[in-house]
Amino acid sequence: MAISADIKLERLSGFSLDVSLTIPNNGITGLYGPSGSGKSTLLRLLAGLERGGPSDSVVIRSDEDTWQNESQFTPAEQRGVGFVFQRQQLFPHLDVQENLQFAIRRQHTQDSTDAGQVYEWLNIAPLLRKQVDQLSGGEAQRVAIARVLLNGARCILFDEPLGSIDRSARSKILPYLERLHRNLQIPMIYVSHSLDEITYLADTLYVLDAGRVTLNGSMLELSASLELNAAEGETASAVIACRVARHDQQYGLCELDFEGAPVFVNAQLYAPGEQVRVRIIARDVSIATTKPASTSILNIIEARIAAIELDTGPAALVRLERKGQCFLARITRKSLDTLNLVIGQTVFAQIKSIALLTDIIP
Amino acid sequence: MIDPDLISVGITLKLATITTLVLFVLATPLTWWIARTTHISRYLLEPIVALPIVLPPTVLGFYLLLLFSPNNEFGQLWATIFGRPLAFSFEALVIGSVIYSLPFYVQPLQVAFENVRQELLDAAATLGAGPIDRFITIVCPLSRRGFIVAATLAFAHTVGEFGIVLMIGGNIPDETRVLSIALFDHVETLQYQRAHLLAAGLLTFSFITLFLVYFSNRTRQSPPFRRGIE
Repeated sequence: MAISADIKLERLSGFSLDVSLTIPNNGITGLYGPSGSGKSTLLRLLAGLERGGPSDSVVIRSDEDTWQNESQFTPAEQRGVGFVFQRQQLFPHLDVQENLQFAIRRQHTQDSTDAGQVYEWLNIAPLLRKQVDQLSGGEAQRVAIARVLLNGARCILFDEPLGSIDRSARSKILPYLERLHRNLQIPMIYVSHSLDEITYLADTLYVLDAGRVTLNGSMLELSASLELNAAEGETASAVIACRVARHDQQYGLCELDFEGAPVFVNAQLYAPGEQVRVRIIARDVSIATTKPASTSILNIIEARIAAIELDTGPAALVRLERKGQCFLARITRKSLDTLNLVIGQTVFAQIKSIALLTDIIP
Repeated sequence: MIDPDLISVGITLKLATITTLVLFVLATPLTWWIARTTHISRYLLEPIVALPIVLPPTVLGFYLLLLFSPNNEFGQLWATIFGRPLAFSFEALVIGSVIYSLPFYVQPLQVAFENVRQELLDAAATLGAGPIDRFITIVCPLSRRGFIVAATLAFAHTVGEFGIVLMIGGNIPDETRVLSIALFDHVETLQYQRAHLLAAGLLTFSFITLFLVYFSNRTRQSPPFRRGIE
């Protein structure tokens, strides 16, 4: 189910939302922006939990019917849209199993996801007999997600689902979400103010600021965009997609294939052939104009300079492209001039350290 | 021949039970609306509901008596439909009691309703539960204690009312002579022994009721024992 929305809304407080967006019919669409940028309001409008005032213009369509325009409004319970809230959404007077049954009894679609499958994906079985107040934050969110899946939602909206979970539990639940991402054929919208979570999960990205979409496009392309990273300074980074090639048992390394170039990471989690996302921090990347012959650095990738952004300080951000995928290098302006780097030039990027995204997210 | 005081006990219990049931049916949706609406009329409705707490019962009784009298259109309409006048009848007592006990039902329930978190209702809605479904399956169970306190207070308060009953019900044996009126009669005719019996009975009943209400509130504030050992 694809969803399109055209929203112009104003609040007495001065907050306004003016967005127009299309959610593709599968994959995860990330909605990123600072607090107060309108992410949550947008999500609540899509779900039918809010409808805007009489002077606002809200038009929301799914590919089957119109949910909201000037003359009609489909209430939340009839939209078939699952919603995972930030916290405390399980019914406290029911235990875990009864919470799930509540959803099963009210299924939106008949061809719902197989319950056994959902239990396995989210590891629900050990929690079934528990009371809601016995669950940890991460467990409660897993149950909440299972409840939405068992409900047969045709689209799932996540409103900062990891926002109130401590950092160590967060890294445990992200792989569960990634598993859903790989297995479900329904669209999901993931709202967060954590760029880490978004880059880990999203395929498409919308960046929201003060109620406006400031950036929109494919996650992998945008992750290396200079606009998104210019303000990040020392922490500027990009995400690339690689395929697991093989495990090197002797040295405990995993060899990935990045558009034909070998990349070594310290991870044994994934099986050969699997797609993984890798984050490269811009300050860990240096540039050489000729292929370094003897160096301790393992990862040397041939790439083309696609763009250069000068910093106000001594640094410059260089966008490097290899067969359509991009990453960033943060070098000094002095090196930029000494090496005479120009756009279009082919260079060798030496990457000091690379980590799989699962390892980075704290 | 049954003791007339026992008949009064019967009338009182019947009145309190019917009043509580009527409040359950009529005042529950009203309370939900007051607790959830952002509409401005809430600020008018809340003080109206609370009026019986501060008004002398005789004021309310006086206006109701005028309304119920066969000279009034409402009183006339009632008499036409049901074949007998409303004033000084058991039905009049029920209407009066419902109005008089309304705040004692609405207020504790309103607090319970307001404590039901919006996220739970939103979650239920996105899971496919419509407004009535949400009210029955989420709001009611979560407000269980609120219902118990509201019903108990409304019941007990109806048992104890006097002024409004005297105004609109009069003192008709077998029909409107409730306990408090019977007590008043005994005092007037200097039958202190019988008055003592009724007064002590009402006092004990009221104390036990309030004790139970406060006791159930106490257990709500401290978490269940189970959580202490987890």
